[in-house]
Amino acid sequence: MAARETSRDIDRAASDWTARLDRGPLTPEAEEAFQAWLRGDPRRKGALLRAQALATMSESAQALGSGFDPAVFEEPKRSRLGPLSRRQALTWTGAAAAAASLAAVGVGMPAAGAVISTEQGEIRLVPLEDGSTVHLNTASSVRVRYDKGERLVTLLKGEAYFSVARDDRRPFVVEVNGCRLRTAQAGFRVRKLDRSPVDVLVNQGQVDVAERTRQASVNVAALGANTRLVLSHPPNQGSAAEHPHPIAPEAVDRELAWREGKLAFEGETLGQAADAFARYSRTRIQIGDPDLAREPVTGLFAANDPIGFSRAVARVFDARLEEDGEKLVLTRRPTPRKMNFF
Amino acid sequence: MTGADRDRRRWFLRNILPHEPALRRWLSRNVLPDIDPDDVIQEAYTILAELETVETIHYPRAYLFQVARSVVMRHVRRARIVPIHAVDYLEQLEHPDDAASPEQQAIDRDELRQLAHAIAAMPLKTREAFVLRRVKGMPQREIAVRMRISENTVETHISRGILFLIDWFGRGGNKRSQTSKSTEPEVGSINGRTRNQSRH
Repeated sequence: MAARETSRDIDRAASDWTARLDRGPLTPEAEEAFQAWLRGDPRRKGALLRAQALATMSESAQALGSGFDPAVFEEPKRSRLGPLSRRQALTWTGAAAAAASLAAVGVGMPAAGAVISTEQGEIRLVPLEDGSTVHLNTASSVRVRYDKGERLVTLLKGEAYFSVARDDRRPFVVEVNGCRLRTAQAGFRVRKLDRSPVDVLVNQGQVDVAERTRQASVNVAALGANTRLVLSHPPNQGSAAEHPHPIAPEAVDRELAWREGKLAFEGETLGQAADAFARYSRTRIQIGDPDLAREPVTGLFAANDPIGFSRAVARVFDARLEEDGEKLVLTRRPTPRKMNFF
Repeated sequence: MTGADRDRRRWFLRNILPHEPALRRWLSRNVLPDIDPDDVIQEAYTILAELETVETIHYPRAYLFQVARSVVMRHVRRARIVPIHAVDYLEQLEHPDDAASPEQQAIDRDELRQLAHAIAAMPLKTREAFVLRRVKGMPQREIAVRMRISENTVETHISRGILFLIDWFGRGGNKRSQTSKSTEPEVGSINGRTRNQSRH
């Protein structure tokens, strides 16, 4: 008699059968072989249940969206050097090429300044004449006005990420709500949403923040890489709120995931996540009960796919999802929670 | 593939799989030489797969531990020689730990992210096939055309992808079989034979 099969052997065979069943219906002979395999050892049916359950679960990867790029999730040791940096370079070139085709649209730079805008749900990468780029998030607009002295961009509304090409003699300045964010070279995000204070996040280089008063502009802060500053509103009062604070590089990546058309959450409440999706489409996610709205959410989702997100959420929290036109309603299932073991 | 199968899998994913690491730890704590926690886990899952209904199970974690315990008991009874410390072990099994598992929440909420990380860590070809199948929903046949490989090779990649997830989710990434390796002494094979004989 052959040596007893290990649990590992069985897992391997269970995976094979799961893949085989996933390919299509079994032939009668294969079906027979399959049943014989199942009967052959008391561990096999259980191993198959686990393999099929995981295969089913992996379907929720669809919630990651069709733009899901696994490379983004690779462990740092693989992604820092070698082939992947090349891949990142390629992605970047691709984005730049796409941007180049957009460049024709409206960045003519008249003296009064060119306004660049995005519609709801649209994300645009626009190259500027000096080699800098601006990445506009959904429903955003900026006005660009370059002259000999400075490269001035005004954030009118929404959210933009600026990747600034170095020019020591001609600073790049972003104006927002009476503040001037000035740099020679940096990558930074500025966000101006209704009912929220202006939020600045620097992920590389340095940005000096100044408030413009009637007399002059007063420096308030110098932001280095991986720092964030929430500007009090209106400016000029209580600069206590204007202390920059450091932010972890991973958190910076999450904050900037929208540039890839994604939303990244790490413990934000479901309510906050629903608000985040609301910026990207007219579809609204409504959460039926306050308990559910407070549940923390983690994951990476396609910003333009509130339905995929809601389905994933419904599954994870065992909630009920009703789709009603442009409204998605999530509610707890009627089963009382105490029926659960916890 | 019936709807009932699918429901069972979903139930299993949500209520059972999150407790697998805790069950494995519990089984490994005072392991008997001829009992491999991974064998017990598979066999316990078989029992869950064969249940008529799972609707009556209100406390899946406790139930899982109880089923696993019954599997161990059956093996112990069948073994011709019961090591002395088996008695202690069975005592331990009398009190399945009932502490709420922090993994439950962590796994649920982190699932998509975990999944993304797991997929990212797959070997490149496997990953490509797996993403096409699972993320983009492309049938295996089309994946074969797209990747210019045979359908059988696609199937192999999908199989490897699933095995990868078993390791990733069940056994916590690369920690696979550490428990059984480090706790299974040489006598394992002898006892294993004893068990096989006694099975008939």
